[in-house]
Amino acid sequence: MTLPPPIPEVPVPEVPAPVVPVPGIADVEVAPPVPGAPVVKQTERPHPLTPFIRGWILFVAIVIGWGQQLVPDGRDDGLDTSDLRQALPFVGALVLLAALTGLLSWYFTRFVIDDDELRLETGAVFKSSKRVSFERLQSVDIIQPLAARMFGLAELRIEVGAGDSTLRLRYLSRARATRLREYLLARAHGRSHRVDDPDLALPVSAFTDLSTDDSPLVKVSVARLVVSFLFSTEWLVTAGFAVVALVVTSFYGVVGYAWSGLIPLLIGVVSVIGRRVFAMYNFTLSESGRGLRVTRGLTNLTSQSVPVDRIQGVKSSQPLLWRLFGWYRVDVDIVGYAGGNGENNDSAASSVLLPVADAAEVALAVERVLPGFALDSIELHTVPRRARWVRWFDWWTLRYGWNDRALVTESGWLTHVRDVLPHAKTQSVRIERGPLQRRLHLADVHFDTPRGPVNVVAHQLDEAVARELAFSQLDRARSARRADQARAVAGSPGDSARDGLLAAFGTDRSQLLGAGSESEVFALGPDRVLRLYRERHEAPQQTAEQLRALYGSWAGNDIGVEVPLTYEVGRRAGRTYAVDRRFSGRGFSGWLATADRDERRQALLSYLDAVTALPLLPSPVPGFARLVGPGALRPYGSLADLLNVMLAGPVTRSRAAVERDLPEVAGVWQRLQADLAERQVSPAVVHGDICPPNTYLSQSPHGPVVTGIGDFSPHTLHADPVLDLTGSVAFLELETYPEAAADAAWLTAVVLERYGDSRAAAGDLARWIAVYRRFYGFYFSDSCLDQPELYRWCLEQLRS
Amino acid sequence: MDDLFAPPAYAWQRLSPRYRSLRRLTTVLVAPILFSVPAVLVGVLTGLWWISAVLWSIATVIVLLRLSLVEKNWRSWGYVEREDDLYITHGVLFRSLVAVPYGRMQLVEVASGPLERSFGLATVSLRTASPETNASIPGLPPEEAARLRDRLTELGEAHASGL
Repeated sequence: MTLPPPIPEVPVPEVPAPVVPVPGIADVEVAPPVPGAPVVKQTERPHPLTPFIRGWILFVAIVIGWGQQLVPDGRDDGLDTSDLRQALPFVGALVLLAALTGLLSWYFTRFVIDDDELRLETGAVFKSSKRVSFERLQSVDIIQPLAARMFGLAELRIEVGAGDSTLRLRYLSRARATRLREYLLARAHGRSHRVDDPDLALPVSAFTDLSTDDSPLVKVSVARLVVSFLFSTEWLVTAGFAVVALVVTSFYGVVGYAWSGLIPLLIGVVSVIGRRVFAMYNFTLSESGRGLRVTRGLTNLTSQSVPVDRIQGVKSSQPLLWRLFGWYRVDVDIVGYAGGNGENNDSAASSVLLPVADAAEVALAVERVLPGFALDSIELHTVPRRARWVRWFDWWTLRYGWNDRALVTESGWLTHVRDVLPHAKTQSVRIERGPLQRRLHLADVHFDTPRGPVNVVAHQLDEAVARELAFSQLDRARSARRADQARAVAGSPGDSARDGLLAAFGTDRSQLLGAGSESEVFALGPDRVLRLYRERHEAPQQTAEQLRALYGSWAGNDIGVEVPLTYEVGRRAGRTYAVDRRFSGRGFSGWLATADRDERRQALLSYLDAVTALPLLPSPVPGFARLVGPGALRPYGSLADLLNVMLAGPVTRSRAAVERDLPEVAGVWQRLQADLAERQVSPAVVHGDICPPNTYLSQSPHGPVVTGIGDFSPHTLHADPVLDLTGSVAFLELETYPEAAADAAWLTAVVLERYGDSRAAAGDLARWIAVYRRFYGFYFSDSCLDQPELYRWCLEQLRS
Repeated sequence: MDDLFAPPAYAWQRLSPRYRSLRRLTTVLVAPILFSVPAVLVGVLTGLWWISAVLWSIATVIVLLRLSLVEKNWRSWGYVEREDDLYITHGVLFRSLVAVPYGRMQLVEVASGPLERSFGLATVSLRTASPETNASIPGLPPEEAARLRDRLTELGEAHASGL
């Protein structure tokens, strides 16, 4: 079970927990149904100039469309101004209507981007409200069409996970848009920032949109862009056609007729220039703190982030004449990017990584996109000579090869193309063979990738080779996917800062012992571990220091179970770390899934012993208190006060979801409050998150024994020991092995029998376990945001 | 069946023989209908009925050619479920073998049009994130199609991996 991140600093400590009514007194309605009742959110509208600019874009489109009609087309009947006079009122009405729609849509568009959520509400008649969790953000782009740019406005385009639609915020002031982008990207990378955080780096230049902490990797000069365009096959072919057509028609003296054919050609040329030159003007690939970023554009300024982990393939191509300069163009396949780019076509997210670059720059960029792939070392194979009967035009350029990370294919003479497919991204593999190939014993092998420019095909292989390549690719893809999953658990593949940090401690990613929502743990030899706190964890340094103090105060108290000990806490490379004692034994949770029933039950009894030993640990404070986290060690007057403070944060976050899924929640809350107020108990150390993943097991001569309990956290309290007793049975239900529920039921019966008469049971242990199950139901209910399994469990606790 | 398109160490599962009958029926229907429309139009409008006759004879040749290939085409189809991927092969002149890892399947679909239904057949199609993955198996008995769908969905979940 992974539990949600610990409670962040809730603005509670000063606010007293809600008055808990004494049962029997009829002022129950005084207490708010849920503490920390959410403040009404300040929603925002886009910039008021928005409808004007959107109307303007439409107006320009109409003028251009009209203008095309007036161009003489050889039939010599154009330029009839009376047409224009009749049409003007129509155009006027159309523009007015568009302006009105624009105004309405602007008026009804509202958005919230704050510390909790990203939400966009649109629609006058059909209202829609989209809420996106920060973790699912893929990229955030800023796009400035010319009209918007003149007024210093920008569109914020937010890509959500594959298959989902794009959120577009039109238009915001530039400063606001860049600030929001930096904020969203920071959150998407799991860092905790506030919207008004001053250190969200802001772009310095309105022309290039580079932030102060961006370091440009590749810049494409205007001269190179223009020269490369003039030498591109696309341009030469179009221009050649136009020239030939003009020459031929003027030779016969019929140029007038050529116009009607040339106009579409000219429009084509203009659009090619637009795509290749204007859209790529000032192209800069830069590395920012939040990944790669592309900024480009002359009239429409576009700024895209490149989600490296979503790249499905890389294609570098070289038109024939570019060989003179040694230039290449690089495109990438990104899931969800290609395809639906209808309006504002040239400003839509594009797949260009580098429009033109020399070999060194290409190598630099590809190394960022596919780090550690060592593509240069791949040995490329040629195809048999008999392929010339089928591919007479380019058979000598066909190549293929692979290493353990990627597959490479090359083809083409007029434009030489090299496609790279990381094995893990292989979708399916096909062998295809036509009738001619059949005679020559040749076949093509296709490696399918998602929609996009990359098209990986090994052409014209010998039959046996093709078969071997196709089947072995399936195996390579499988093992690469597994390796990628392992890497994903150990962190993002490009996290070099973290690798450096691990190296400084003499360890590496392969030493990963475990990872939770708060930290990752790496082995540092047989008796020590390195704990790296995640940056999304609130105030990690404070937590680490508090834990060290707490563990220090326990040292020398042998309770028969190992508890953690921290040797060192510090900050390096922007990460908080702690060096802890390594537990003996192995993870209890993993073992449970492999053990048989009798072994499990023996271990669970010893687990119970370990849990009930925890109250023997000394507490640094006498009264009810949190032991770790914000406001730790502050004494609370009663158990209910403390637990309500613990609940305030999660319940605020989950309130809307819980009220939706459980209409009777107010009643459940009242009952919990009444129960807690009634509870009389003397406080003891409570782990707060006691579950098999936080527990260690060793094999003794008498069988499996639970020997250690780790991962104390901001859930840890000085409170009612029945909390942990409840946790030890309740959280067992969240284990994923098939008999987990049966074991939990059995363990509950054991607990009731063993501890039913203890002082803490206060005569009715079953009741208090039920009460604390409801408590945990509320406490972990903010899992509604990201952990549906846990959330379902929470609802179950609240229903019963 | 030649070696290039044989699955490694497994035997192909074949389509239902009823699929052959379905193919024969569509072959007999499609080309004549397609050619009859222009043939009748030309004949009625221009009176040049010899053009219509030529069109009809072309249609007849096509029908005969395709009829002779139905048996081969039916034999060319095959699929096999391996531990980690599904293999499908088909095609007479242009042969193709596609291997789809279970973990890559995004959607498994069973479709059955009115004609297919009347023959008691259904088509299973698989989708991955790639539009080029062309993996569908026609001519399955409905119970086999449903079994395959459930099995593939189950395997897809077990092997699932992100993009």
